[in-house]
Amino acid sequence: MVLDLLANGLIYSSIIVLGSIGLSLVYSIAGFANFAHGDTMTVGAYSALVTFGAVGGLGGAILGLPFGFFVALAVGIAMAAVVAVVTEKVVYEGLDVGSIGLLITSIGIAFVYRAVIQMGFSSDFTRYDIQALRPIEALLPYGIRVTEHDVAIFVSAVVLVTGLHVLLQYTDLGRKMRAMADNPDLARVSGIRTDRVKLWTWVIGAGLAGAGGVFLGLYGRLAPRMGFDLLLVIFAAVILGGIGSVYGAMLGGVLIGMINQLTPLLSGVGALLPIVPDGWGIGLEYANALAFLIMVVVLLFRPNGIAGDGEGT
Amino acid sequence: MSLVSDPKGYWADLTRPEQGVLAFVLGFALLLLLGLLTGGIGPSYFLFLVGLAGMYSLLSFGLNVQWGYSGLINFSVAAFFGIGAYGTALASASSSPLAGGIPPVVGLFVALVLAGVLALLIGIPTLRLRADYLAIASIGLAEVVRIIILNEGWLTNGSAGVRGIPGFFEGWPVLETFPETMPGVIITALPGPTIVLGTNFWQALLNVALVLTLVGICYLVLRRVHRSPWGRVLRTIRSDEDAARALGKNTYSYKMQAFVLGSLIMALAGVFYAHLNLYVGPGDLNPITTFYVWVAVILGGSGSNRGALFGGFVIVAIQQGTRFLNEFGWIPVDVAPLRLLLIGVIIVLLMRFRPQGVLPPQRELIWRGVVDDAPSQPERGVRGSKAGESDD
Amino acid sequence: MSRDTIRELDRRTLLTLAGTAGIAGIAGCSTTDSDGGDGGDGGDGGGSDGGDGGDGGSSPYTIGMIDSLTGSLSAFGERNQRGKDLALAAVNEVGLDGRELAITVEDSESENQGGVSAAQKLVNQDRVPFVIGAVGSGVSLAIYESVISGTDVVQLSQNSTGLGLTDFPGLLRMSPTGRTQATALANIIADDGYDEVALTYVNNNYGSSLADAFKNAWDGDLAYDNPHDQDQQSYSGLVSEMNGSGADAWLFITYQAEYATMVNEMFSNGYEPQLYGADSVSGDNVLENTPEGSMDGMKIVVPSAPVEEQNYQDFASQFESEYDEAPTAWSAYAYDCVVTAALSILAADEFTGAALSEVVRDVTRPEGEQVTSFEAGAEILVDGGSASDVDYQGVSGPIDLDENGDPVGFLQITEVQNHSYEGIGFIEG
Repeated sequence: MVLDLLANGLIYSSIIVLGSIGLSLVYSIAGFANFAHGDTMTVGAYSALVTFGAVGGLGGAILGLPFGFFVALAVGIAMAAVVAVVTEKVVYEGLDVGSIGLLITSIGIAFVYRAVIQMGFSSDFTRYDIQALRPIEALLPYGIRVTEHDVAIFVSAVVLVTGLHVLLQYTDLGRKMRAMADNPDLARVSGIRTDRVKLWTWVIGAGLAGAGGVFLGLYGRLAPRMGFDLLLVIFAAVILGGIGSVYGAMLGGVLIGMINQLTPLLSGVGALLPIVPDGWGIGLEYANALAFLIMVVVLLFRPNGIAGDGEGT
Repeated sequence: MSLVSDPKGYWADLTRPEQGVLAFVLGFALLLLLGLLTGGIGPSYFLFLVGLAGMYSLLSFGLNVQWGYSGLINFSVAAFFGIGAYGTALASASSSPLAGGIPPVVGLFVALVLAGVLALLIGIPTLRLRADYLAIASIGLAEVVRIIILNEGWLTNGSAGVRGIPGFFEGWPVLETFPETMPGVIITALPGPTIVLGTNFWQALLNVALVLTLVGICYLVLRRVHRSPWGRVLRTIRSDEDAARALGKNTYSYKMQAFVLGSLIMALAGVFYAHLNLYVGPGDLNPITTFYVWVAVILGGSGSNRGALFGGFVIVAIQQGTRFLNEFGWIPVDVAPLRLLLIGVIIVLLMRFRPQGVLPPQRELIWRGVVDDAPSQPERGVRGSKAGESDD
Repeated sequence: MSRDTIRELDRRTLLTLAGTAGIAGIAGCSTTDSDGGDGGDGGDGGGSDGGDGGDGGSSPYTIGMIDSLTGSLSAFGERNQRGKDLALAAVNEVGLDGRELAITVEDSESENQGGVSAAQKLVNQDRVPFVIGAVGSGVSLAIYESVISGTDVVQLSQNSTGLGLTDFPGLLRMSPTGRTQATALANIIADDGYDEVALTYVNNNYGSSLADAFKNAWDGDLAYDNPHDQDQQSYSGLVSEMNGSGADAWLFITYQAEYATMVNEMFSNGYEPQLYGADSVSGDNVLENTPEGSMDGMKIVVPSAPVEEQNYQDFASQFESEYDEAPTAWSAYAYDCVVTAALSILAADEFTGAALSEVVRDVTRPEGEQVTSFEAGAEILVDGGSASDVDYQGVSGPIDLDENGDPVGFLQITEVQNHSYEGIGFIEG
């Protein structure tokens, strides 16, 4: 059973990592905690829903997902990026209120995104019109129950994250982004077009969020609240890993996802602890609470997160 | 210049936003009075709304102490509200799994103590963190509180909630039976349907009196506190914590004090809510309450008590006013997402055009006496005054 | 005294005198009600639909409805609205003795706070004497405790199956208590030969009270017993734990959204237990969003309309032609709430809460001629009949509200066959 939970954890982590990396990127370059990030995921998911409905299967499939789904994925990513860039241009750029003010503004933007989606799609839940699959036969003897869709989610996340790594380390844009994250004023002084880099950061950050949203819809279901409900968990992941560090966000995402899925192991923890009665255990309903508590505990000892950069606000 | 002796001077003395707010409030009050007299607004319902507004004002006062005075981004308002409500409910309700039957006044103290303890529990790990970490940690811990309340049925009745909460004035000599003993009043003179003021009305009046007393006490206390040396230190911490630390102040201790004070006031609002509603459940700790209170404080003016009061009333107006949109069937969209959209747009517009809120606190920090005695136009320059020449 | 202070005093005195005069004037025009009556008496105030001015004879009868238009239970709210709209049309086609019925709908937002403020508006502002509300046992109880009890207003909940409502005779409901369902489920699972079951229920008033009733009625073992939260994106941990418990019979007490997610997770994990469910796990949303064959053989106990009855079939075909899908029991309950309210208005002496509460149970109870539509019932009442001359058999069942305000539980056992719901039996509570 442990292997199964680990496998589930990997898949759930993939989704969270897509969200947390995007959030961390935006945080380090735009300089504020974007509370609309979860709803950006929702935008991506619903754009993909509409596209997939319009485009259909397009014949052929990889890992159980029709080609049309990948088209929808691309559209979801693009739409999330577009919406984020528009918001940046129209709203955030003109504001002169400091990072706390931007945080509060992003809460307003989150409400706006969610309200518009709810008006367009009603608050009922729905799913992509893709045939559900049975678990992969080869892995069943190990007790691991994953379907090809789950593998697709994991693989896609790996591909996207690797792509980001390549971008950050080996391309010009990536170098500029890292420079801006380190020291924005120095970056501007040395000739980097900071507003252009910022826009690209929004594109990449929101695009990753959109991808995360599409996969979230595949993994679970689509509902207007889906992104916002996940937002706290993503924040916990980013903070756990340390704001300002993309790799920290990755680590945080994996940790939080694993903790969330491994909670069933704690249902009998009373038997292991000395004083606590044997029947006692941490129930599943505390899975999210556990993630938050662990985040707070880590912050007690490392106030800037595990891989945080120690910068002030 | 006082309002009664020189209204014109008083008016000219106010800043533009203050004039706007005063005019708006007066106009709105007049409208409401008209509505009441003609029967357009039911008196009990009106009092219920006033009670709700008072409750949100209390919550805004509490958040104002934390955010407005000290710059702490606290997103756990709902948790303190809930703890206040549950504290008094578990003490005084008939269906409480822990106690029950304790007089509500004692329940009030129980709620305050619980809120203080929770404030310490949440504050100790989080107040040392940077501002945005505090935001997220506080929201996470608020969720933990809500999840505990929802799941530990032996403690809180879990999802069934606590019912059978007595009114706040139970056990008091006159006030307990005030609603029943007051005669019903029927007003027939005015145009419109007859207005009947019965038990419902007197009960609501009692509730409103209670919340207005609480609001009044908190307002006076906070006004005093804001202008005190303690308040000054908090304001320094808000604008530049390093400077405060350099001046030798233990900023962590001050922040904790502000956090606890704000939490106690929020718990007061929760206590009022429990005795108004006579039923509390885990759904009352929904995080959306936190966001409503934040909008109220920012709208009113961060750091301003009058602003917090104003913001509380505006929030209730938005929440309940959008209900009346249901009557207009021609609006093609659902009302709930519309309300969400409205709140989102208000936040964005506020931050864009008036981030300091409608009534920023600067005016509140000026002692009235200083302004009144100051010469409106100096007769002579500074050198002249210093040389000791006096006015006629 | 200087002239200034005399002027000040004058202005102050003037204001005070004016204020006192005003109050005295109002006091003079008022009378005291000797028995201090309550303020909740229903006038015939302008409602929302079609309120045409205040001339007494032709203005509509306005009642209130609190529904979950938004929030976690909004799916139920939508079904209720459809049922209510059909019923309203049926009632107004016949008319209430020349007048129309108007319903002011308020949103409870599926939360206690929202429900209470909706009730406050309906009772204290709109002064309705009859409130249909709400969805969700917790919300209905909160409304009752906070606003309704202590007034004369009649509250009839359209969708509340929690057991707690039976303890409050003043709180009526159209959906039967969950106790019948729970007992039925325990019997079915035992009859199928299982002696241990894995149970999970949604963590709210509805789920936990139904689960408690089941645990009382169940004689066998409880291999797993855990609540789960609403609105979660994934329940894979829950499903894994249920599998790990070793039971072959799994019972779900939850809503469609959550259940659809669980079914998908069971399917993609390859689990194939014998599935059982309480009412809210069934619905078109679940069928649409789960794969074929994922639930076959599942048995669900649903509060049901008597499907072979003519009035239900008429209702169902009308519903389908209007909304393109089959009705659920929840729409049927809302339909019956409206019709019961309309019949009560006709049967009562006056349009006040006290008068309505006297007749509301009787119009649904056995003394009297059985009628299956509003039209038929109205005919009898308008002809001078009283409440005990009518026994309304609703589209959701015989109703027959008892002294606790609970209807007779009419349940249907459905089984999922070929990924659709087939009835396999009936139980009358």
